[in-house]
Amino acid sequence: MMKPHRKKRLGIILFIATGLTIAIGLTLFALSQNIDLFYTPTQVAAGEVTPGDKVRIGGMVKEGSVDSAQDSLLVSFAATDYAHDVIVQYEGILPDLFREGQGVVVEGSLGAGGVFIADRVLAKHDENYMSVEVKKALDQAGASAANHPLMPES
Amino acid sequence: MWTWFHKLGSPKWFYDISGRWLPWLVACMAVCLVVGVIWSLLFVPQDYQQGLTNRIFYVHVPVASISLAFFPLMAIAGTVSLVWKMKLADVVVKVAAPLGAWFTALALASGSIWGIDTWGTFWVWDARLTSLLLQFFLLIGMISLRSALEDTDAAAKACALLSIVGTINMVVIKYSVLWWDVLHQPPTNFTVDNSQPNGPEIWIPLVIMFLGVYLFFVISLILSVRNEILRRERRAQWVSELAAQ
Repeated sequence: MMKPHRKKRLGIILFIATGLTIAIGLTLFALSQNIDLFYTPTQVAAGEVTPGDKVRIGGMVKEGSVDSAQDSLLVSFAATDYAHDVIVQYEGILPDLFREGQGVVVEGSLGAGGVFIADRVLAKHDENYMSVEVKKALDQAGASAANHPLMPES
Repeated sequence: MWTWFHKLGSPKWFYDISGRWLPWLVACMAVCLVVGVIWSLLFVPQDYQQGLTNRIFYVHVPVASISLAFFPLMAIAGTVSLVWKMKLADVVVKVAAPLGAWFTALALASGSIWGIDTWGTFWVWDARLTSLLLQFFLLIGMISLRSALEDTDAAAKACALLSIVGTINMVVIKYSVLWWDVLHQPPTNFTVDNSQPNGPEIWIPLVIMFLGVYLFFVISLILSVRNEILRRERRAQWVSELAAQ
């Protein structure tokens, strides 16, 4: 059997642990808007982003929207959460994983006319790993389960 | 029911039994790491998207996973040390902190290297990376706290409480990728079907690497605990007899 003084000490520890968990949980819940790394295109469309402020926007590179200049590193594309789009302009080298249908996080500011001027483009990759052969077979079967990283629900 | 529990608290008993386990553990770890490293770094098929880069997955995932185990381990040991005043429990809390700091640093470093090639940056202040960095600083804080407090009992108490705080942070690290919008990918769901993503050709070498890295962690912990036991019990009869051999 546990001795009474031990029981009491265990009780104090559990009390402290529960209190801390609740306090930290409430803090994180209150801050959760600020903890998110990026705004979604839907939030941009709703006017949550002030033009000129330095922010990040996350979305998928819309299929067929990538337009690269022939004589410079200027590129423009639409970042989408499949509800709204944001047109992004960027001059620089894109990460290797940048491609249509891929998740990206862009850092920069919203310019006049609603075009997002990015200073930095980061590529997101999802949690699915497979060989080229498996990917090919899946594509042929028409069931590409592989491309669904960004989860725009908020 | 409590006899084994009190026996476990005896430093001498632990020193003897761990000495007998060590060679076996080291042999198993060596096999797992040799097979795991060769398999995962040379024979895993190239990823359809990341090519060879995602082979760092086989280092990063086991190391990161073990780095999350430290705070729960220290919190359990710390609680045992606070409630039952078991000597061995505080030894575990003490030696786990520097080990945890090393594993956390490795997880941060391997993740950064992976990030340079895939994300296009080695660091981003998203919830996963920031909370893991916080864990690193908590562990550094724990080491400093221990060396700052002269009184061993006070140090044991303070570190045990800090390890409970760290455990809450560990839960935040674990679920950060699900609770918030982050750059880091969520955990993978593995399948047994080889024609699907994340099939056995991906996860079998990962399991072997997991075993190797976990054994490495257990062995490092046992060695540090034995070292600290000898330091704390240096005036005990059995230690002098051991030293005289």
